[in-house]
Amino acid sequence: MKRNGGHPLARALSVTFLVFWAFMVVYPMVWTLFGSLKDNQQFFMGKPWNLPKLPLLWSNFSYTWDKYHFGAYFLNSVIVTLGSMALALILAASSAYVLARYSFKGSGVVYYFYIASLMIPGILALIPTFFLLFKLHLNNTFIGLITVYAIGAVPFGIFMLIGFFKALPRELEEAAVIDGASHFGTFFKIMLPLAKPGLLTFSIINLLGMWNEYAFALVLVNDPAKYTLPVGIAVMQAEMQYRTEWGALFAGLLMSIVPVLILYILFQNRITEGVTAGAVKA
Amino acid sequence: MKWKTLLLFCAVLMLAASVSACGSNKNENSTPSSPAAETKSTESASTEPSNSGEAPVAELEGDFEIQYFVGGYGDAWWKSVIAQFKEKYPKLNIKESAGPKINDQMKPRWIQGDPPDVIYLDGAGSNARQQIEDGQLLDLTDWIKEAANIDGEKITDKLIGQPDLFDGKVYTLPLVFGSWGVFYDKALFTQNNWEVPTDFESFLTVSEKIKAAGISPLVHAGVYPGYLVGGVLNPAIVSANGDDASILVDIANAKEGVYKSEAVLKALGQLVTLRDKGYLDKSAIALNHTDSQIQFLQHKDAFIPNGLWLENEMKKDTPAGFSFGWLPSITQAPGGKYVAVPYTNAIAIAKKAKNPEAAKAFLQFIYTSKAAVEWAEKTGALMNLKIDLESANASEVSKAAAKFYSSDNIVVAPTFAYAGEMGKTIEDATIALIDGKITPEQWAERAEKQAATERSKAK
Amino acid sequence: MSANLKRSLFIASFILPTFIVYCIFTVYPILRGIYISFTDWSGGSETMNFIGLDNYRELIHDPIIYKAAYNDYFIVFWKVIGIMLIATYFAVALTRLKIKGSAFYRIVFFFPNVISVVVIGVIWRFVYNPKLGILNSLLSFITGKPVETPWLGDSDYALWALLPPAIWAGIGFFMILLIAGIMSIPAPLYESAEIDGASQWKQFFHVTLPLLWEQLKVSVVLIVLTSLNGSFIIVSIMTYGGPDNATQVLGYRLFEKAFGTYQMGYASAVGVLILVLSLLTTVVMRWLMRRESVEVS
Repeated sequence: MKRNGGHPLARALSVTFLVFWAFMVVYPMVWTLFGSLKDNQQFFMGKPWNLPKLPLLWSNFSYTWDKYHFGAYFLNSVIVTLGSMALALILAASSAYVLARYSFKGSGVVYYFYIASLMIPGILALIPTFFLLFKLHLNNTFIGLITVYAIGAVPFGIFMLIGFFKALPRELEEAAVIDGASHFGTFFKIMLPLAKPGLLTFSIINLLGMWNEYAFALVLVNDPAKYTLPVGIAVMQAEMQYRTEWGALFAGLLMSIVPVLILYILFQNRITEGVTAGAVKA
Repeated sequence: MKWKTLLLFCAVLMLAASVSACGSNKNENSTPSSPAAETKSTESASTEPSNSGEAPVAELEGDFEIQYFVGGYGDAWWKSVIAQFKEKYPKLNIKESAGPKINDQMKPRWIQGDPPDVIYLDGAGSNARQQIEDGQLLDLTDWIKEAANIDGEKITDKLIGQPDLFDGKVYTLPLVFGSWGVFYDKALFTQNNWEVPTDFESFLTVSEKIKAAGISPLVHAGVYPGYLVGGVLNPAIVSANGDDASILVDIANAKEGVYKSEAVLKALGQLVTLRDKGYLDKSAIALNHTDSQIQFLQHKDAFIPNGLWLENEMKKDTPAGFSFGWLPSITQAPGGKYVAVPYTNAIAIAKKAKNPEAAKAFLQFIYTSKAAVEWAEKTGALMNLKIDLESANASEVSKAAAKFYSSDNIVVAPTFAYAGEMGKTIEDATIALIDGKITPEQWAERAEKQAATERSKAK
Repeated sequence: MSANLKRSLFIASFILPTFIVYCIFTVYPILRGIYISFTDWSGGSETMNFIGLDNYRELIHDPIIYKAAYNDYFIVFWKVIGIMLIATYFAVALTRLKIKGSAFYRIVFFFPNVISVVVIGVIWRFVYNPKLGILNSLLSFITGKPVETPWLGDSDYALWALLPPAIWAGIGFFMILLIAGIMSIPAPLYESAEIDGASQWKQFFHVTLPLLWEQLKVSVVLIVLTSLNGSFIIVSIMTYGGPDNATQVLGYRLFEKAFGTYQMGYASAVGVLILVLSLLTTVVMRWLMRRESVEVS
């Protein structure tokens, strides 16, 4: 396909702006990396863009990992994120499948019941959720946080996965029925594998959101042993008011950024797909 | 997809670097505070029984939990006295719930009706007034009337600041007696031949010299305006009010008309003077306390309003040769008295404490001269107990403060707690004032309006 | 068992668990939040008295609420403008102009979207630090004299200073969304426009913009909703609503009231206000943009 690339000047300007923005995006991370290798004196005395002095203070990382319990936070975040992803998948996929491929009384109502909550700000539910978990004795448990995260992802998941399930050809289902497969069998053996791309996309999007979630984690979990990384960072920043350890703080930031960055780069196609699937049909 | 590979490679590299660092350097970093604290506590604990000589009165046992906020004072004192307490009552199983976020962390337990036995009320998220209103704290009124410490001295006789009354009842005992004030570096002043100010006039004179030397005279923690209000504005109001400090209580209690009183307007005028002469560090409004304190320690600024915890809090970042000096106030007229605005942090027992006997025993254990001296040594600040600091190994600032407090040339203001959002309103308006956004009259207007709201809510 | 019963059982077993969990953990808390807004509950007390509309009456008389609501919409407005302009520009540049390395830009620009808002807030606080921050150091370096502008401390620009991080963090997501929209525009439309000799500029206005309208609409609504509900996070990390409430937003006011002065009832009323404003705004936005979309098509 031939395409007109636009006016050369416009192109040059565009490239300049693109490069500038790429710099704006990448530099703060590079700078965070540099900062994580400095000691306080270098922060006070040097220019912020100075390279860290040798020897590089890699010890900031181990310090944050141990002293600020980032090792534990990291593990907690992994548990909570994976747990909520799995639960969200089960809860959303089952309902989405039935809503997409079975017609029954009230299915429309159920659908809109879910979709409506996409419009409602979570912050209103935050405080009551805290007391609800409390009554259920689920406060300060991973199960509590996982359930809240998972159900929070369900409306969007249903919305998105219905699209995927609807797109699967009818004939497959009919063939399965002829072969004598049960409803469950059809779902697990035929439909689920076919919807894998959709499920994967849904999970990746959840992964980003759940890994980074702050407000609910802050309020629902008060036991430091169960903090997730974002809460750990906020707590660390609060501690910085009594103790200045910027290098260590930056090391902590990096520990939160790098894992998702890797996953993103690995799965960026899936994410693009999810963003598109979610928004184009909205 | 070349880019993808490259980026992924970079990311993996960064992760690998951080992980390997975690493995290799583990031995190098020691936790700075706790080991020292622990050795110290065992030392003093072992000498303790021989000191007192007497056998424990009653055998205490079971679980005993203490909640304490760890901020500027650190946790060395707590670790030490708790270890000593444990020594005295070995059958107690003591649990410490401590940290800079402890108030938030423990909140659910209080609501659930499963609180710790003793709580030290300090730091963000702590609100004694609210806990009393919510019925969470034990009424100590009768107990404190007679209570003696383990040395046999009546506790109330020894207190510097008496307990606050809520509806005539005592729920909390002030444990820390601190004071706001203005800090400077003695070494820097000697070196430059600057005179330590004794009143507002001399403060302005020396500030001019400091400014001429290329240093900003006064920095403060603008993100938390309480520092400027506590260290500069409140003493100024008392001075302007003819050294009658009761005005601060009226301000806290939302009394009508007090905000537009002459004294308040005059004190605000002094802030305006500092602002207009350029003596307030312009960037201070964006600094939190750590940032502002670092500026002060780095000699970018000469004065800083702060509390007596400052020296201890910034120990790690204090350059060699730095010598903390402290003034209770800088806003009095020439020949006028200094004004000290104190603050207290209290300790209390939970109403639903599971071991109230141990809790009371703990209070009796810590309200002693020995614990107070140790507090001064470990935190550089003052415990709320009358002791002779000269003999103790307390910090210079604490001693200076104690000296100021015992002199005739000083007015000591009462402690107070702001009604509702009165404190926030005053702090917000003060920041707007020093940023040149409002006039003292507008400040007064805002405060009067909020006070009216608070009064109507109280009804 | 009849086939019908089997079918019903299957449907129930797939619908009900999710539905029950959803009712308990999503619907109930929202209803409960609305109920609490009619009480004087402190959050810690054992008593919870129904006080009717008192909290809402206080809400109307709270000057900070108006400021917070204004600030919320200020942020929303500039975020919409900033993100839409830049994201649309990038989306067009990376698709219609043949630019080398467009895959690279696409991946990199999305980076901020995978980072927690907390991390973004902490990093940008350092950018703005008046003494040690990158921004002032850079300005000092360029102008040759010390610049110590308190970006987050002066009420004249603190709110403005919150916009760059918010826009910075939002571009990638919406750019990807718009790129997908542009890619789905049938190529022949562009080809015929080119044959007619239409410039890129004209192509943008006559082909891209009208056909991208759905995605633009969705983007705007998403920005509005996410920032009305989410601005408080960046505020709570960067400015605590200060100085002098210059960066106060409704969500942060809710936090202040709930955990600062222990007025859970009042805080819930603020929550209800946020809910109502979000719904109203969405309805208004959709209505405004619907009219335009009719005109275009």
